Order: sequence, then C-alpha cells, then structure tokens
Amino acid sequence: MINNGEYDLGIARFTIGGEQFELERELVEEAVRQVLPDPLRDHYVVVGGRRYPPKQVIACVTGLDRADFTTHHARRILKRLGFVAARSAPHVVEEPGERADAGPYGGRQAAALAPYRGKWVALAAPTEVLVAAETPEEVLAWLARHERRASYGMFRVPASDREAEGVAPV
Amino acid sequence: MRFDFAELPGDRTSLVRPVLPVQVEDLDDAVQLCLVDTGATTNRFGVWVADATGIDLRGAPESTVVVGGLQTTARHARADLTIAGVRYDAPVTFCDPWPFAFNLLGQEGFLRFFRVTLCAAEWWLDVDPAEALRRAGSAG
Repeated sequence: MINNGEYDLGIARFTIGGEQFELERELVEEAVRQVLPDPLRDHYVVVGGRRYPPKQVIACVTGLDRADFTTHHARRILKRLGFVAARSAPHVVEEPGERADAGPYGGRQAAALAPYRGKWVALAAPTEVLVAAETPEEVLAWLARHERRASYGMFRVPASDREAEGVAPV
Repeated sequence: MRFDFAELPGDRTSLVRPVLPVQVEDLDDAVQLCLVDTGATTNRFGVWVADATGIDLRGAPESTVVVGGLQTTARHARADLTIAGVRYDAPVTFCDPWPFAFNLLGQEGFLRFFRVTLCAAEWWLDVDPAEALRRAGSAG
C-alpha cells in the first residue's frame, strides 16, 4: 500500500508497504540516466527526455518490486515531482502519401525519428520506435531482455544531413 | 517484393533513402535496415554485426578501404543474409571503425543476386531474386 504522502517543492515523501521514501527530482533523473525504457503500455512519464513506464522509474529509484505499487500511484508521485506524465496514443495505421513532398509516410517517420538523432534505434513498424540507445549492443540487449522484435529494422538515425548523405561523421 | 524508402529527419526537410531490411545469420530479433548503395563494390557492415552474430573474423583477409571520407579496416568474410524472403550465402566486408548510420548493400553480395528496381519519384524499390539465386534456392 502507498499512502498519499507529502510533497514539498521538488521533493516527494511517501510510504509503500510501511517503508518511507523521500525522492527528489534530480535523484530520479540520475537513477534512470543509464537505464533504457521498458516497452510502454498505457501510461508513460518523461524523464531526461525519454518516455518510461511510471512503475519502472519508481522501482528503479526505490529498489522496490513493481508488484508493490500501482501505475496510478507511481504516476502521481512522479507528477508531483514535476515530470510530465501522459497516456500513450493508440498506434495509428499508416496511410502513405499525405504530404506529397515528404516521403512515403507523409513525413511521419521522419518526425518519429527526429528525437533520436545520433542514436541507435529499433523499430517494430515505420513509426514505432521500440528503443533508442547509444550503441547497437545496447539495442540488441534490450530486445533480448524484453523479447521484442525489431521487425522493421534497426539502424542509427543520422545526426546531420551530411551523415544521411553518406559522409562520415566528424 | 516492394519496400518503401525510409524517411530520415533532416535539418530542413525529410531525407528519403532506399533501404532494405536484412536478416544477418539468425539475428531475427534485430533485422538490419541497410542502405542500397549502387556505388559500393561490396556489402559493407559494421564489425559489431559480426560480433553480434558470432561470425569469426580471426584470420579473415584484411585491407584498408576509404568509405565516405573515412579510412577503415575491412575484414572480408561470408554471412548468411535473408533479403526479401530469400536466404543466401553472401560475401560481406566488416569494417572497423564504422560510424555510419546504415550498413551498405553493394555490388558483390547483393546487387549481383537480385533484380532491383528503384523508383525514387514514388519512394519505393522492388527486389526480386535473380534467376541464378532462384535456381540455387530450388536446388537446395
């Protein structure tokens, strides 16, 4: 059980299963900095520019088992720390050719990849990014750990136009 | 089999590139999105692909090549590639370093095995096994 807890500016105090915790926003950011996000379901929270399942973040920062608390409670704690929490949008079936000048996906694939410039990504579908990481080895390990398949493919999103045109990165 | 080009985020607009999903050996969880490069003499992959798939490069013939302005060490080996539903034994050059976004599909190891039709105006490419590969497949 989690009680409602207390919240100061940037600090959340709460109790889970009789154990008390005090979290700061910076502590949460540091705890997940090297952690790749698990696959998202209905809800996510944005930490350090990446979307994580709320329970993953709380489990990571407290060391608790995810079965000890609910997504709702995890979201509430993280929102009170100032993190953006939202509900995942349903996957949209692509209809190519919306914008005649933007490519086969009407610019949607480029938009989906834009936040990941310079990163290795694995995609389940043209606009469905499963994971983004600094190295291909991290992507492979994530896919194996979560038994997910990059059906569309994995590659590194070029960091610049020059790279996309085939020039070696400086 | 028809494939759409990939849209990459550009500085001002989307950059559209002809790419193909390629399964290397048995790495079916992580299909490699490879760039079709009609100017490349061979398939050129990052060396991490060999590491990930267990292709032993010890003793492989080695040379120095320049790709995209970068000098890199190339080790020449063979790998099972699956493209457009066809698995075949292909020569592949594994390069280290390989800082590029995509592995490259070139003349030896890809174009020689497939009939490829590119339509950049409509952002698609058709890939069909050439007759020799078809015969090899049916004989096996």
